[in-house]
Amino acid sequence: MSARNLDPGLAADVPDTDDVGVANRRAARRSRALSLASFAAMLLFWTAITGSGLWKPVVDPVFLPSPLAVLQALQKLLNTGYQGKSLLHHFLISLMRFGLAFGFCIFVGVPIGLLMGMSANARALLDPPIETTRPIPKLALLPLFIIWFGIGELSKTIVIIAALFPLMSISAMQAVRSVSIRKIQAAESLGASRWTIFRRVVLPASLPGIFTGIRMSVGVGVTMLVGAEMVATSDGIAWMALSAADFIQTDIVLVGVLIMAAMGYTLDRLCRLIEARLVHWSGKD
Amino acid sequence: MSIAPIALDHADRRAAAKLVFDGVSKRFGRGPESVLAVQRADAYVGEGDFLCIVGPSGCGKSTLLNIVAGFETPTAGEVRLDGRLVDRPGAERGVVFQQGALFTWMTVLENVAFGPRARGVPAAEARDRAMAYLEMVGLKSFAKRYPYELSGGMQQRVGIARALANDPDVLLMDEPFAALDQQTRELLQEEIKRIWKRTRKTVLWITHSIEEALFLASHLVVMTARPGRLKAAYAVDFDSERDPNVTTSAGFTSAKREIVGLLREESIEAQRQEGVAT
Repeated sequence: MSARNLDPGLAADVPDTDDVGVANRRAARRSRALSLASFAAMLLFWTAITGSGLWKPVVDPVFLPSPLAVLQALQKLLNTGYQGKSLLHHFLISLMRFGLAFGFCIFVGVPIGLLMGMSANARALLDPPIETTRPIPKLALLPLFIIWFGIGELSKTIVIIAALFPLMSISAMQAVRSVSIRKIQAAESLGASRWTIFRRVVLPASLPGIFTGIRMSVGVGVTMLVGAEMVATSDGIAWMALSAADFIQTDIVLVGVLIMAAMGYTLDRLCRLIEARLVHWSGKD
Repeated sequence: MSIAPIALDHADRRAAAKLVFDGVSKRFGRGPESVLAVQRADAYVGEGDFLCIVGPSGCGKSTLLNIVAGFETPTAGEVRLDGRLVDRPGAERGVVFQQGALFTWMTVLENVAFGPRARGVPAAEARDRAMAYLEMVGLKSFAKRYPYELSGGMQQRVGIARALANDPDVLLMDEPFAALDQQTRELLQEEIKRIWKRTRKTVLWITHSIEEALFLASHLVVMTARPGRLKAAYAVDFDSERDPNVTTSAGFTSAKREIVGLLREESIEAQRQEGVAT
């Protein structure tokens, strides 16, 4: 076929990436500026009511230390650690507890969800245990887990797993079940085997849904971390914040809270970044 | 250039046909709520024929195609391809859908090479074959793009190339151009006709557009309103290469008038049924 057989509007037909790109970039820049302004306003408000040593604080520093005081507390924690262990140690142990549970759910929960999406039998078998235990607040099970699995790392990891597992497996199952039947039929009539259809059609088509579950798990996982470090431990960032609260060391509490916030935020950004690379085509059917 | 009535139950031609519909009926659901979508369809498509099925919307023409594709099983009767019973999807029956059937996560090239790869053709050979068909539909330079970067018309070309790259015995097309604008549709129709003349594939084409059917088909079947039965069949011969203005010729216009007349009765019937249903 020669070029004259193409639509006359072919060139105009191709989405004009340049124009769209410029408009998108401008919108992105504006929303970034707005976010930054909102963040600065919060910081300013915090500084204003706490004085930061510049004027008389409106709120007693015992309840809310100034941003500067929090920064100083962070500096001190970095230098001398907390309760005999370095801040890095507390951070890494928290990250490990979260990471183990998170990794387990990605490598076991997601595949089980995929299996449930693919096979009615697997669904019939695995749906009841997941669905019936889903409404239980998993933190309420922590005392039980401690009795069963001891006061070590295992019970802490398991309580986080208990919260993340259904999130990831059910979102993976839903993702598989909502794959367009058209695309599966297309693959079938191209002669693809069941395994090929799973690997090259169902799995990639499910990725956006799987990522939704993974990103929800980041938020829930960090929350669960606080719960898991409430009892039977003497390290971890959440434990540091909780134990500092007992001595009304509000500045240390805030350092702990901010570190966890930063951790959650960073992990979420990381997930988004991977998602954007892996499923750039999502929602563009 | 004209149309001429033919009998779809012609015993000798049926016996020699590529694709045969033998008393095919399809009922959806059970009991009083069930709907009879297709009723006792008897037809055949000869080797190298381009058969268009036209009918009012909801007449079951897509159901008929889904049965041939193996996506649906008939409630009664059977479909045979080269004498073999059709009971599941298979690579010898290539399907082109209306839209939304491309693999969004693959490049255009990967989409077209999917069939050969799935059937075990080595990667390099599958790639070459895919490129050849992309060239045929004029999209060679878009091989590395993703479907969402392409216009609707270009996406349909990819779908056609993908089906052709598998070298199927029959091409099944379910209103492939229905979602496109008029200009794109007309150009693609000419292109499809050219490809068909070149490859001489057996084609089963579903459409609600009479003009499209008359322009493309070597054979045309008119379907009734639900329950869909085959009302009339014609051998069609309109060649735009011999006459570029064939679609405005007297023969084309009178053929169109004849089919429109047949379909008008059916559309009125279809709307009456919908009125009863709602």
